[in-house]
Amino acid sequence: MKQKKRDNGEAIAKSMFEMAKLKVPVIAIVIGEGSSGGALAIGVGNRVLMLENAIYSILSPEGYASILWKDASRSKEAAEKMKLTAKDLYNFGVIDKIIKEPQIDENDMIEKIAQDLKKEIKSTISQMKDKTSEEIVEERYQKFRNIQYFNNI
Amino acid sequence: MIVDKIKKREKSAKNKKTNVDIPIGKWVKCDKCKEILYKDTVRENLSICPNCGHYFRMHINKRLELIADKDTYKRFDINIETSNPLELEDYPKKIKALKEKTGLEEAVASGTCKINGEPVVICIMDSGFMMGSMGAVVGEKITYAIEQAIKLKYPLIIFTVSGGARMQEGIISLMQMAKTTAALTKLDEAGLLYISILTDPTYGGVTASFATLGDIVLAEPGAMIGFAGQRVISQTIGEALPEGFQTAEFLLEHGFIDKIVERKDLKETIYKLIQLNK
Ligand SMILES: [Zn+2]
Repeated sequence: MKQKKRDNGEAIAKSMFEMAKLKVPVIAIVIGEGSSGGALAIGVGNRVLMLENAIYSILSPEGYASILWKDASRSKEAAEKMKLTAKDLYNFGVIDKIIKEPQIDENDMIEKIAQDLKKEIKSTISQMKDKTSEEIVEERYQKFRNIQYFNNI
Repeated sequence: MIVDKIKKREKSAKNKKTNVDIPIGKWVKCDKCKEILYKDTVRENLSICPNCGHYFRMHINKRLELIADKDTYKRFDINIETSNPLELEDYPKKIKALKEKTGLEEAVASGTCKINGEPVVICIMDSGFMMGSMGAVVGEKITYAIEQAIKLKYPLIIFTVSGGARMQEGIISLMQMAKTTAALTKLDEAGLLYISILTDPTYGGVTASFATLGDIVLAEPGAMIGFAGQRVISQTIGEALPEGFQTAEFLLEHGFIDKIVERKDLKETIYKLIQLNK
């Protein structure tokens, strides 16, 4: 009921606000479909990793098509335009690393991904263990601060 | 009835010859009471409907006139323009046309000004530019303004009006929420006052970032404020929404905002809040 009365915008804002202040390293990993403020609310990381076939976007492709073209059925076309793949986001500098999803037996694949993630998490922690809490916070700040897509005039 | 009103106004307007057609551009219809109003009359009334009290959206320049001491506004020297991260075909054209039509650089203006002599950093959004949506330029300008407030040790005042994230800029737009929010943590640590004033409508990624993070959150009467649209929420939860849901009055009642302030009292209220927080 509380959620309904208050909507969840403020909750997202507060979550990002607190996350931006954390004095310990934060690693966010996009493993499936991440979209909109809900994903970002837990995505303010020093490192943002993403599985090769995951997507991370401003909105679901259905929502995007319905807002931009008033037609949710054009979701496939929206997905192609939105640049929401791991590769796109890596090129934008929004994520730091793509975790491969090898085309092997499913159980082996999950095992392999889990191992790779573990390796990434460990290496990130060791890269950051000598940093002060101020450095950790500042590094995270600069990461988002520097997402700049505009032209200087 | 409308015809009568027009005739009456025509008569009262100075130097008016009888039966002269008044260009349609001089008239505006109130969204709430549907009354056709003379634009200048509405403007002189702080962009409030003289018939029913409905608040019209304000152009950045009108808002500045209302809030800033005369000739004190200094625009920040930040010269950036919208790019096209998703390489959409018509987006740059749309931006260019809007710039020409509105005379605005983008959906937000930022700079310093004085409010009854008190220096502040001020950001004002404008719904006339892509519905006040936040893309990379808006995100950068807000972030830069926050950093300047810290540098200058000035209070930060932001007037919001926004449909939310700028869909045309995809994930880059989403990231501006984190960027502006992170900048506000620094303002908070510096112990500086941030007053956000939510005006109609404030939605989506702006609500879910800097708009609701003010130390003091004010709103104009009747402003619609939310994250998701009402239709989406009611479809998702499969229930009708309560009466007045997402109005400033409803949100005040539920502790989401601190005060609803009439337009005519905004400048004085902001000034007093700055004084109290000194
Ligand atoms: Zn009216």
